[in-house]
Amino acid sequence: MAVLTTAARKTTPVPTPPRGRRAGGPRRTPPLVLAFVLVPLLAEAVWVFWPALQGFYLALTSWDGVSAPRFVGLANFREMLHDDIFRTAALDTVLWLVLFGGLSALLGLATALLLQQERRGVGFYRAALFLPVVFSLVATALVWQAIYQPDGVLNQLLQAVGLGSLRHAWLADQDTALYAVIVPALWRQIGYVMVLYLAGLKGIDPALYEAAKVDGAGRWQSFRHVTLPQLRGVNAVVLSVIVIDSLRSFDVVWSLTRGGPYHSSELLSTYMYSTAFQSLRLGYGSALAVVIFLLAFGVIASYLVRAFREAD
Amino acid sequence: MTHSQTSRRRFIAGAGAAGTAALLSGCVTSTSSSSKTSSKGPVSLQSNLSAPQAKAAMQDLVAAYKKKGAVDLNTVAAETFRTQLPTYLTSANPPDVYTWYPGSVADAYARKNLLLGLDEVWTSPDLQRYSKALHTLCTSSSGKKVFVPTTYYWWGMFYRKSNFAKWGVTPPTDWDGFLDLCDKLKSKGVAPIGLGAGGNTAWVASAWFDYLDIRINGAQYHRELLAGKHRFDDPEVHKVFDRWKEVLPFFDPSGTAVAFQDATTALLNGRSAMMLIGTFFADAAPKDALDDIDFFRFPVIDPKVPLAEEAPTDGYFASARSGHRDQVFDLLRFLAGAEAQEIYLKGSSGTALPCHPDAKDTGTPLVVKGRKHVAEAAEITQFFNRDSSDALQPTADAALTKFIAKPKEINSILTDWQRDAQKIWGA
Repeated sequence: MAVLTTAARKTTPVPTPPRGRRAGGPRRTPPLVLAFVLVPLLAEAVWVFWPALQGFYLALTSWDGVSAPRFVGLANFREMLHDDIFRTAALDTVLWLVLFGGLSALLGLATALLLQQERRGVGFYRAALFLPVVFSLVATALVWQAIYQPDGVLNQLLQAVGLGSLRHAWLADQDTALYAVIVPALWRQIGYVMVLYLAGLKGIDPALYEAAKVDGAGRWQSFRHVTLPQLRGVNAVVLSVIVIDSLRSFDVVWSLTRGGPYHSSELLSTYMYSTAFQSLRLGYGSALAVVIFLLAFGVIASYLVRAFREAD
Repeated sequence: MTHSQTSRRRFIAGAGAAGTAALLSGCVTSTSSSSKTSSKGPVSLQSNLSAPQAKAAMQDLVAAYKKKGAVDLNTVAAETFRTQLPTYLTSANPPDVYTWYPGSVADAYARKNLLLGLDEVWTSPDLQRYSKALHTLCTSSSGKKVFVPTTYYWWGMFYRKSNFAKWGVTPPTDWDGFLDLCDKLKSKGVAPIGLGAGGNTAWVASAWFDYLDIRINGAQYHRELLAGKHRFDDPEVHKVFDRWKEVLPFFDPSGTAVAFQDATTALLNGRSAMMLIGTFFADAAPKDALDDIDFFRFPVIDPKVPLAEEAPTDGYFASARSGHRDQVFDLLRFLAGAEAQEIYLKGSSGTALPCHPDAKDTGTPLVVKGRKHVAEAAEITQFFNRDSSDALQPTADAALTKFIAKPKEINSILTDWQRDAQKIWGA
């Protein structure tokens, strides 16, 4: 290609076409193609970027949702530094990220490995594990609420197997509420992560396993040295998905506990909602939203940058 | 092909138009006051009465009005309604009339010029005859009428007559008698006091705070406290929790784990003996159980404190941006009439009381007793959020559920409550 270009430059006296434009390609982008790019961009700008920018602005104001917002500078962020509930919510969010994110990745991978081989009936198990993803989380939460009730299925089960002493008001006790809420969230997420990993596993060349086998690798070794490195691409996707899902986890917590009892299952997202729409402090709520955004963006961007650097 | 191109073009044009529309209306912080809805079409009535019987009663009411004028009823789940209300009222094209509460909750919106002035409606012969207390309750701080009250209800210690008879107990009148009753009930293996502050109804616990405060410190102090004129960590408030601690062992252990609807089911089934609740719980109760329900006055603690009762008033206000001014006035005059209030009471569980002096209540023994109960009170309070604000309610929910779980931490609970409340008052 380089040779050809040099040759062309020598033979033709006309100025070189701008770099990157192919000689035989279309010179003008058809308006329809342009529209396909610009219309979604406009929609995105109107429904995503503009509200997001407004959110940033609102974070610098004190606003009750009714009167005009009052500019207060960084006061909301300063308040956050001394806000115990914010601290609880941030710690809970980290705990949620580790437990919900970590367990859904681990269990998703485990189920994918278990169900990757085409055996009779494996489709049924895959479908069964994926099924919770189909239900709305609010509906899921209602079912789990019934399970966790003081005289609900879980307590009855504990009683029946002789563990009556463990009976508990699961959602009303600050020691158990957060963990009780994680379970339905996990129950739903595992199926989703499993599907991502199943797709990744299907993409691994079987020849690699054969080669590993020939080299005398055991099951653990071929998992460690073949499967895991080959799943690196999927891992990036899974990590992004679970970080985003962790930080935006809201519906299941709100439906089950509303962040209570007394903030023990409060996540940044539920705290943001209750501050904004229950206490009607929309400025402070927006400041919390900005923090959530920066966290999500920070975690994902730093991971992706590292991932790309490794890939280079 | 031509067709597909046209529709594609149409789609793009439509998307562009929708985008522009969203851009124009997307500015959430701008408060546009110029655009008014057109005065054509029916009046929209936004209702938060979503319990089956109350909803049915509203439908009856709307059907009756439709003989006179056009109205569209839109029932929204209570919680959604509450969080959306500021958005409704500030939007450029708001619903016209809303079910809501008078007093400080309505005044907060009136102060921001979001409510339609209803002085003209209050000149109607019906509203002129309403009690003086209702006149005051519906007047905003600027002196304008902003609310039309239609019904009120009372809070009390509700129980099933047949169960009390079975357990051989009778309602108490004073605090010591109340503690004795709780003792007796507990010894019979029943949870003496149901609560229902779990799920999404943590606010029910505020009734206990309200009642203990108005019995110990009086209604005047209570209202001032909720308005930010006293502190939640004052010794007076500590006294409230000292009394509460005496009855706390008699509360149903699942009190903060189940919503009030489940707690009332437990009451009706005899798993708990009594509950401090408002008559609205009957809207979801089976009709045949209604005759067996009775209540007694929250026991007097200090006879020197004037007797106050919680009797929240319900009714309607309208958006200042409504384009149907005259139709709204007409609808509100209808709702303030005796006939409309009777229609509503007939269709609902019938445990509420009409505001119109001529409107007949359902006349059941429970309602007759309820009316007398409210009439005997020297002072009337509304409820925690209605005497303060919806924004203050979550601070009470957190403080009170924590107190129920960890009564020993009351000092830090009240300090935190004051800190959280100050943020709301200062906002």
